[in-house]
Amino acid sequence: MAKLSLMFENKLVKEVPIGSRPVTIGRSPDNDLPVDNLAVSNYHARVYFEAGRLVVEDLDSLNGTFVNDLRVERATLHDGDSIWVGKHHVKVDATADAAIPWDTGRKTAAPKINETMVLDTKVRREMIQQAAAMGERAQFSAGRMRVATLVVLSGKIDIKEFTLTNKLTVIGKSPMATVRLKGWFKPKMAAQINQRDDGYYLGTGDKVPTVNGTPITGTVRLNDGDLIEICGVRMNFIFRE
Amino acid sequence: MQIVSSGLSDVGRVRTNNEDSFRIVEALNLFILSDGMGGEAHGEVASAMAVDVINKVCESEKEDSGATVLDEAPATISSQTRRLKSAVAQANFQIFQAAQKNPEQRGMGATITAMWLKDTMLSIAHVGDSRAYLLRSGNLQQLTSDHSLVAEQVRRGLITPQQAEESEMQSVLLRALGAHPEVEIDTDEVEIIPRDVLLLCSDGLTRMVTEPEIAGALQAEMVPSSAAERLIALANENGGVDNVTVIVVRFEDDANKGWFSWMRRGSAKKD
Repeated sequence: MAKLSLMFENKLVKEVPIGSRPVTIGRSPDNDLPVDNLAVSNYHARVYFEAGRLVVEDLDSLNGTFVNDLRVERATLHDGDSIWVGKHHVKVDATADAAIPWDTGRKTAAPKINETMVLDTKVRREMIQQAAAMGERAQFSAGRMRVATLVVLSGKIDIKEFTLTNKLTVIGKSPMATVRLKGWFKPKMAAQINQRDDGYYLGTGDKVPTVNGTPITGTVRLNDGDLIEICGVRMNFIFRE
Repeated sequence: MQIVSSGLSDVGRVRTNNEDSFRIVEALNLFILSDGMGGEAHGEVASAMAVDVINKVCESEKEDSGATVLDEAPATISSQTRRLKSAVAQANFQIFQAAQKNPEQRGMGATITAMWLKDTMLSIAHVGDSRAYLLRSGNLQQLTSDHSLVAEQVRRGLITPQQAEESEMQSVLLRALGAHPEVEIDTDEVEIIPRDVLLLCSDGLTRMVTEPEIAGALQAEMVPSSAAERLIALANENGGVDNVTVIVVRFEDDANKGWFSWMRRGSAKKD
């Protein structure tokens, strides 16, 4: 069972367990953790479990709630965190508590949505936290986006490497083409690569490119290391971290 | 290059009001589509406002009207794309302000997909989950990335596109016009070549109709107005749970004039 310990300097004032009911912190005596200090609002903050995570929420207090050094409106708590209200702080002890993995709690935690909505303030933070938690589990962080790159192995092209940043990358003689082919009989738009949510797709243009030696039909999803050949140019499709 | 376009909007089979707005400005080769959100009639207000503001800003003579260029956009994008982007930024701010002033309009917002063609250069500005597609050489390519929670999860490799399609969180947007005083706007530029077909559509189409079906309809119906009708009919046949709006734009060689004037006569419904 997780517990909260209200401290003043190094002295323990009161200790409460956290169960299904939220724990309230404030100046009013009916709080679970009453703090007798004018800098603390009557109902200052509350702590509760949500989707398996321990959350602190500031109740529009005048002087704010801080987790460690950061002022928060709402934050997920971890073992060892300190919630500061005025000169008091509440230590979080979550050691004995096994957090429920997020994906088992997802269905109930997510609001039922039919209408289109924009994630805003509270909901947004909540969902991003949940998504982040999910990301941690999948060993994936927001910062680590892979950049697709075409490396030219052979053929008449001046530039040896292209980073595919646009939604649509054109390979051809057109002046707008990212991968610009040279030569009299080269088509304006030989082939194209479309960046989609789940990866990069090579499509035919005026020519049919080959991927790993096989001519493509329609569009194919490119995999790291694929060898593309078109109009006498050989390129390697790779992801860079 | 010759351009024929047609736009069509339908309330769908389930809803009673249509919150989508679109506009085709032939004189400017400007195409705007917006899907509004927020209860009562406020979604309509937001999407109509988005379309109107963008149209006005793009129309205005001055290259940069007022303090519009909020972004320190890289010099790699053209002045035309920057202008379209600032038009979207202004639309966002005006919707936001209107929502702040009228408490009953709180929470209203809109998606935006705007395209502006100059010569052969197509500027794209986009926020939300209304999409733009390019049909070229028989391949349907998506020119925009949805700013939705599920799309973000797909991009991070947390769920598959199939899971995203089944998710009940599909309507959750990470970005929209009107939610904050400033919004991050995606821009892109694509060179248009003859025989390209461009499609702008609200999520009422993409949730009901698969991409192969969309590609099929665009290839089967050469006349944009017929293609638009066909796409809307498909969305309604598959359930029509949301408003459906499409703009279909077809580009053709100048050489092909005879065929072209025939097609123009066929395209009746315009905004």
